[in-house]
Order: sequence, then C-alpha cells, then structure tokens
Amino acid sequence: MTPDALALQTETVAAWTALAPAILLGLTGLALLGVDTLWPDDPSNAVLAGVAAAGSILSFAVTGWFLVAGTGQASTGGAIALYGDALVVDGMSLFFTLIFTVVTAMVVVAAYDYLDDHSHRAEFYSLTLFAATGMAVMATANSLATVFISLELASLPSYALVAFLKTDRGSVEAGLKYFLIGAVSSAVLAFGISLVYAVTGSLVLGDVAAAIGTPEMAGVLGLGVLMILGGFAFKTASVPFHFWAPEAYEGAPAPISAFLSSASKAAGFAVAFRVFVQAFPLEAVPAGVDWVIAFQVLAVVTMTLGNFAAATQENVKRMLAYSSIGHAGYALIGLAALTAGGPNGDVLGASMAHLLVYGFMNTGAFLFIALVEHWGVGRTFEDYNGLASTAPIAAVAMTVFMFSLAGLPPFGGFLSKYVLFYSAIEAGFWWLAAVGAVNSALSLFYYSRVVKAMWIETPVADFEIESRPVGLYTAVLFAGVGTLLLLPGFGPVIETAQTVAATLF
Amino acid sequence: MVPPEYYLLLSAAVFCIGLFGILTRRNALLFLMSVELMLNAANINLVAFSYVWGNITGQTFGLFTMALAAAEVAVGIGIILVLYRSFDGVDVTDATTMRW
Repeated sequence: MTPDALALQTETVAAWTALAPAILLGLTGLALLGVDTLWPDDPSNAVLAGVAAAGSILSFAVTGWFLVAGTGQASTGGAIALYGDALVVDGMSLFFTLIFTVVTAMVVVAAYDYLDDHSHRAEFYSLTLFAATGMAVMATANSLATVFISLELASLPSYALVAFLKTDRGSVEAGLKYFLIGAVSSAVLAFGISLVYAVTGSLVLGDVAAAIGTPEMAGVLGLGVLMILGGFAFKTASVPFHFWAPEAYEGAPAPISAFLSSASKAAGFAVAFRVFVQAFPLEAVPAGVDWVIAFQVLAVVTMTLGNFAAATQENVKRMLAYSSIGHAGYALIGLAALTAGGPNGDVLGASMAHLLVYGFMNTGAFLFIALVEHWGVGRTFEDYNGLASTAPIAAVAMTVFMFSLAGLPPFGGFLSKYVLFYSAIEAGFWWLAAVGAVNSALSLFYYSRVVKAMWIETPVADFEIESRPVGLYTAVLFAGVGTLLLLPGFGPVIETAQTVAATLF
Repeated sequence: MVPPEYYLLLSAAVFCIGLFGILTRRNALLFLMSVELMLNAANINLVAFSYVWGNITGQTFGLFTMALAAAEVAVGIGIILVLYRSFDGVDVTDATTMRW
C-alpha cells in the first residue's frame, strides 16, 4: 500500500468517527433490544434505564469533547463532509446534538419511575434512543435526501411513543393525531423536495444553492421551498402545522411530551437552519422566493397564537404545550431576522442558544408534570394548590422553570431571550423583538399562575404523596440546576453558538 | 419526448387528489391511502426529472421514499389498531376525548 493510500485510509476512519454521537445513540438502542431478547421474561427496569442513560450520557460526553476539541470547526480545518456531502459534521451539528443527548438522558432517567408498572419498557427506551439517533443525524444532514430520511427516523418512533399507553384513550388519540398530521406533512415535505430537485437537478444543499441562481421555473422552486418550510413547521410545532402539538403533548406519557417539545423541536430547527441557510441562501434565491418574509409571518403568528392560547388553558400540561408553540415562535426569529450580508451569525446563534436553555427548562417543566402524574395529583391549576407544602424541593425546581420560561432576570431563560431579541434589533428587525417582548410579558401571566397555585393557594384536597421517586427527582433537579447554571455559564454558550452559526454563511 | 412540464402537471394532479382525500375522508385507512398518493406524486417528479437531468439521484431517492412510506404505514396501522380497540372504529373524528 502506498503512503498516500494509507493516509487516505486513516483519514477516512477519522472522518467517520466524527459521527460517533449518533452511532453511540443508535448502538444503545440496539443494545436495549438485545437486553430485552436475552431476558425476555423480566428485563429489569433498572438495567434498561441504566443502559439507556449510560448510552445517552456517553454520547453527550463525546459530543461535548468534540465541541471543545474543535472537531469540524474552523480551528481544525472546518466542517467534515462525509459520504459525498450527504452528511456534514460541524460546530452547529455538535451544538444541537448536545441538546438532544442531554434531553434524552434526562427523559430516560425520569422514565425509570414513570414506567415502573408498565410492560414493554425495553421498547420504550429503545424507541426513545432511535428517535434521538434520528435527531442527531438530522443535525448533520447536508442533502435533502438525508434530511427527509433522518426526519422520518426521528418521527416514526415518536408516533409509537406518543401512543405508548395503549389502553389510555387520551394517549391513543394523541398518537393518532400526531401520526396523521405527521404523515401529511412528511408527504408535503417529500413533494417539496421533489419540486426543488425538478428545478435544480440535485439534492445536496451546496449544489442546490449553486443551481438556483438562474432557474427556468422560479414559480416551481418557490412552491417547493414553501412546502419544505411546511414540513419543518410540523417538526418544530409552528403555525400552520401546530395542531398536533397540544393534543400530542397532553395525551402522551409526560416524559415523551418533554422529549418531543424540547429535543424534537430543536431537531426541526437544526434542519431548518441548515437547509434554508445553505441550500437557499438569500444572496442567490430569485426575487420571488424570499423565504425570510414567510418566516417573519410564521414567527409573529406562532408566538402570538401560542401565548394567547396558553393563557386560556386550565390544564397545566396543555398550557405548557401551547407555551412550547410560543417558544417555537421565538426560535423562528433566528431565521426571520436574516438579511443578505447582515450579522446573520449573531441572530441564528442566539436562537440556537435559546433552544439549548429551553431544552433544560422545558424538559424540567414537563418532567415535573410527570412527577405530579406519578403521585396521582390532578392536571388543572387548582389541583396544584398547596403542592409546595408537601413537596417543597420539586416545587422550587418548578418555580425556577416557570420564571425561566417567562424570561425573568435571575434565570437562564432571561439571558437567552434578551440576547435573541437584542440580536434581532441589531439585525434591523426591532418589530420582531417588540412582538417577542410583548408576548413574553403576556406569558408571565400564565406561568405565574402555576407558581401562585403551588405556593400561595391553600390545598383543596389532602395530598397523599408517599413516594419520592429517585429517577424523576434526579432528572427534575438536574434540569433545575442546569437552568440556574446557564445564567453564569451563558457567556461561553452564546459565544460558541454564534461562532458556529457564523460559519454557516 | 414528453415535455417535463407535463410530468409536473401529472404529479400536481395526483398530489391534489391525495390532499382532497385527506380533507374529505374520515376513515383512517382511506386517510393513509391518500397520504400514499401524495408521496407517490413526489416519486413521479423524482423519477421524471431524474430522466430529464440525466442523473440517478432522483431515482435513488424515490426508492428511499417508497421504503419510508412502507415504514410509515407499518407504524400507522399499529396506531389505527389501538384506535380500533379503544374507540370501536377507525373513524378519525371519533377520537375527541381532548379538545381539538
């Protein structure tokens, strides 16, 4: 073997290992099925949860190491393109994988208690890990083909997970609605991709960008871009494909609601950022295909609708579901405030950082709901009355999540929202920031209702909280500490996010 | 040779038939069939323009689309089965325990 060939070979191996986070998640999913096959009668819940948690934490650690070591970033020679540019590992994909893996770890640890008296636990954990694998691939997808396939890999296990409580009518209904809307939106996405292929003759994002400059069929291209946007709106639970979100989050097992509303949403944004920035760059798209305007409309409508609907809810889980739609609207600012040649990295990075903070505070809030469901306390605001007197530690954590989601100063959510709105103003979109700020103020109303119910109101009924579930408490407290630590630690986070986002342009 | 625009018209027609089925049918199985029509409309485009552009990217992606459609139906049938057990039917408008 010539030295050149040898060098090429080692280089190939090294490049391939950049996908380690996704591979680890996939292998963990397979290992869980293996454990289930070896002990078919009684797979221990602790073993299954342990394997799932270990796999996702390992994947998180590897991702963090890659991010610090500079894999795929400017310091080590730029993005690593694999398999004919179908996948690309860069700072942005690692940043998003960090969100997916940490959310997955919290969810599987919490699921240990939640699944205590359920069967088919191994399937639950492995489907969660497979969905996380799909999300990790979504973050690296650099061709419309891999975008579609990885999006389906993340979606299909999610449908099954939402309908996991087979005998619970709410869970089945949620699974059905999620599936039906998901199937339609994936068909719309596929059709949009086929139209873009019809105009450009390629699916790789870079080649699409090179071909759209002088299109013969700008109208067809515009329709294709609009349909692709629709497919991503489903994944991020944005208007107009948001109808599934309140139903699916309310009916699904609470850890899965946490998983979908944090990780799955972030995954949708990961592909949306990469596809729109790299395949349809603003400098190159024909005049009729100005997708930024579409995102501006979507961002304003999504945050307004989400926040107003959340304010009218009586059910806490459903309120969180609508608040999750509202936060999708904030994150959409990352794409809505882009301009040809503006400080685009700043606003996109701010949106990514907000999704990271959101991953902690929103997962924590939904896991608190899981904890309350585990205790058998009701679902409405009134049922939460006086909860703080019986479970003070969990109530403190929930208070942190609520105030952080509302964007109050001493928590992580304040800085991420502040930087997001500030960077929108920097980019010249003061009205986007204004709409966001007004919505944020409104959101304080319904978030503080939870806090008021827990701490101030007197309980209507006696609670019988006997258990202190270890897994749920660990996950909720971890999320709470994460939300708090992201206030002093926000500097490096936003710096990393804006640096890796700037390299996309 | 058939002009490429005709393929676009055909695929758009198939897509719209699928969309019409989704909006009007209440049976979950007919809903699934309508989604298949929409996905196959995408396949028509992919295969036709693979021929027009002279590369096989579109055909290859068409194969993936078919495989994913099959996987989607497999999950979907499972969910429709539990729907049938819980709600005694496959009418998608029957499942209304939560506010829509």
